[in-house]
Amino acid sequence: MGIARTSLTGVTHYVQSNAYNGYTLFTPLGTRETMLIDMKGRVVHQWKMPYPPALYGVFLESGNLLYGGHVEKGPLADLKGAGGELIEVDWNGNAVWNYQDRYLHHSFCRLFNGNTMVLRWVQVPKDIAAKVKGGIPGTEKEGIMWGDSFQEVNPRGKVVWKWLAYEHLDPEKDIICPLCPRSQWTEANSFAILSNGDILASFARLNTICIISKSTGDIKWRWGSGGELGHQNGATILENGNILLFDNGTHCVHFSEGYSRVLEVNPATNKMVWEYKDDPWMAFYSAYMSSCQRLPNDNTLICEAATGRIFEVMKSGRIVWEFVNPFSASFDPVYGHNRIIPRAYRYSPEHEGLQGKGFRVFSLFPRRSKI
Amino acid sequence: MGIARTSLKGVTHYVPSKAYKGYTLFTPMFGKDAWLIDMQGRIVHHWSTEPYKPNFARLLTNGNLVYQGVKSGGIMGPGVAYLFGEDYEQSEQDRGVCLIEVDWDNNLVLKYEEPQFNHDFYRMENGNTMLIKYVTVPDDIKSKVKGGIPGTELSGGVMWADALNEVTPEGKVVWEWLSYEHLDPEIDVICPLEYRGEWTHMNGCNVLPDGNVLGSFRQTNTICIIDKATGKITWRWGAEELGHQHEPTMLDNGNILVFDNGAHRFFTQDLDYYSRVLEVNPATNKIEWEYKDDPPSEFYAFGMGGAQRLPNGNTLICETHGGRIFEVTPDCEMVWEYVSPFYGPFLVYGQANLIYRAYRYGHEHEGLIGKNLDPDKFKWLNGIYGPDAT
Repeated sequence: MGIARTSLTGVTHYVQSNAYNGYTLFTPLGTRETMLIDMKGRVVHQWKMPYPPALYGVFLESGNLLYGGHVEKGPLADLKGAGGELIEVDWNGNAVWNYQDRYLHHSFCRLFNGNTMVLRWVQVPKDIAAKVKGGIPGTEKEGIMWGDSFQEVNPRGKVVWKWLAYEHLDPEKDIICPLCPRSQWTEANSFAILSNGDILASFARLNTICIISKSTGDIKWRWGSGGELGHQNGATILENGNILLFDNGTHCVHFSEGYSRVLEVNPATNKMVWEYKDDPWMAFYSAYMSSCQRLPNDNTLICEAATGRIFEVMKSGRIVWEFVNPFSASFDPVYGHNRIIPRAYRYSPEHEGLQGKGFRVFSLFPRRSKI
Repeated sequence: MGIARTSLKGVTHYVPSKAYKGYTLFTPMFGKDAWLIDMQGRIVHHWSTEPYKPNFARLLTNGNLVYQGVKSGGIMGPGVAYLFGEDYEQSEQDRGVCLIEVDWDNNLVLKYEEPQFNHDFYRMENGNTMLIKYVTVPDDIKSKVKGGIPGTELSGGVMWADALNEVTPEGKVVWEWLSYEHLDPEIDVICPLEYRGEWTHMNGCNVLPDGNVLGSFRQTNTICIIDKATGKITWRWGAEELGHQHEPTMLDNGNILVFDNGAHRFFTQDLDYYSRVLEVNPATNKIEWEYKDDPPSEFYAFGMGGAQRLPNGNTLICETHGGRIFEVTPDCEMVWEYVSPFYGPFLVYGQANLIYRAYRYGHEHEGLIGKNLDPDKFKWLNGIYGPDAT
């Protein structure tokens, strides 16, 4: 069971000898502040951003922050995870790079070659949309079904590679969850780049994660729609070639829902090689967003978005660090007075981007309630 | 937002000037105890339900306690059997399902055995008891039932539905209603994410003052009123609003209070999962009152749960999965909250403090008149589970 739920905030638990020491980066939903906190929950650095997050920002080895902003007046701004502008700022918040596209959403990834892979919504052509199965009949968005596209963008903002999901998905296999609207076929919410350049993508509405060949565009591997996943998030690739992801556990069949888990899957065998669940299972649950990150000491950092809880578990499932977001966001018509943290990332003090940076404790918040 | 989740136990919040004072009755799931606690969370009475593990119990006006006796725990029906890949019919014999009534001192008053008795029962004005039981759907009707996951009937193609039985204190069935004779396969469609092993999964029955029955069907997200005389369903509601709801009850004003779990709710816009308690007017099908948390995700039980309208207009809500019972005013202000300190194994889900339902009985409740409700009788237990526990 989590050591704290809503009554405690800040760092509620810390086992120094077992935790992976470092700094944790997150942006609470609906705020314009990206925080870097230390293991005691003290804010040691902060970036003021022009937009609230689509979901998150990541820290680069250059020491810059690459951030997906939610542009409130975008054409699809009412869809969950809507973005609009990618912003790169340096340690001091000075603009370094930006890329505007009103259809950006959810996730992005800086590539080794300096380009950036972005995710954007595109309309599914009507003839293909008509063949798509599943979903609640008649719930297209103003008659339109939206799908996903990956685009590789170079530093000058030029699109150098493009992949359209509807060209490669199979309407017979890639079926929308029967309780989801047909406004989106796929709703990609996270992706990762494999060492060979292929893309690991998570399609929430299909309960499917898949590997897309960079060279041919073909879907080489897909998994999850056989009842394994419930609108998963946070797909990441590990050094051993396995996939770590956050299985939210929503819209699952029968009684097998209402709890989340973090899974490590071997794509060669489709076998689950590691799983984290709480005891009892229901005490760890976020119906939406959320992330997971395998740390160099083999621990896993988990972000349970709905409760604003970030925690680190050992392979055994033992919690060795826990933090509950003490910052409440502005009111959201869907999420209420929430303290959602969509995603979180841990960076070691040895991380290249942190070298030579002068940390200071910015504020007394978040207060430590209990350690 | 709940004032406490798992780190706090017992009574975590109490506004005496606004709460409806009385005693709260609950039976921790998979345990063999019924507890009556006061507003401070102190145990004032206890019944052992050995050897049974009831989901919940009701206190009658004569001070007796009524509950469903199930040795394996009250939710072990075809649904749970399916979840674990077991055959429900084969496990029937050792379940020992019955209706039990005991007096204040736990002396047996009534025992009625019915292996297919499930979920809910209601003690009627005439002294009879209305209860729900599983029945299989005849083949010709089964094939017409729509929805659910194709091919998920149970082994042998079995599909279960429910019946209502009115049983006399002598154990005679004097009225029976078979749901499959009155449901409409075109309207009563199984949720697309549920198995086809059950058409209805009836989880609530409440006999109304006019003798008609208010029922709840989990599989079809529907609550309905059944005409006692003709058996016809005279009102049904929920397919577009409810997500596997529990415990509808009719209020004095004729409205219906229901715990809407929210699981598999038919959303078209957002996917946020939350439970809510609704008061719906059956004459207009309008929702006239709603309680949900802020943020909504802080109040969620994907299964089970219940709500009780109290005489002062407040509502007692039981959020099963957090083991949390709380009372809210009509303005949705929380004025009492209790988190169960009683933990036990919940199937494969781990150690949990689940409470299926809870009921509040006021100080003036007839069944409590003249009873010894001194918490000092349970000094030792209250030292462990009461407000002074550390």
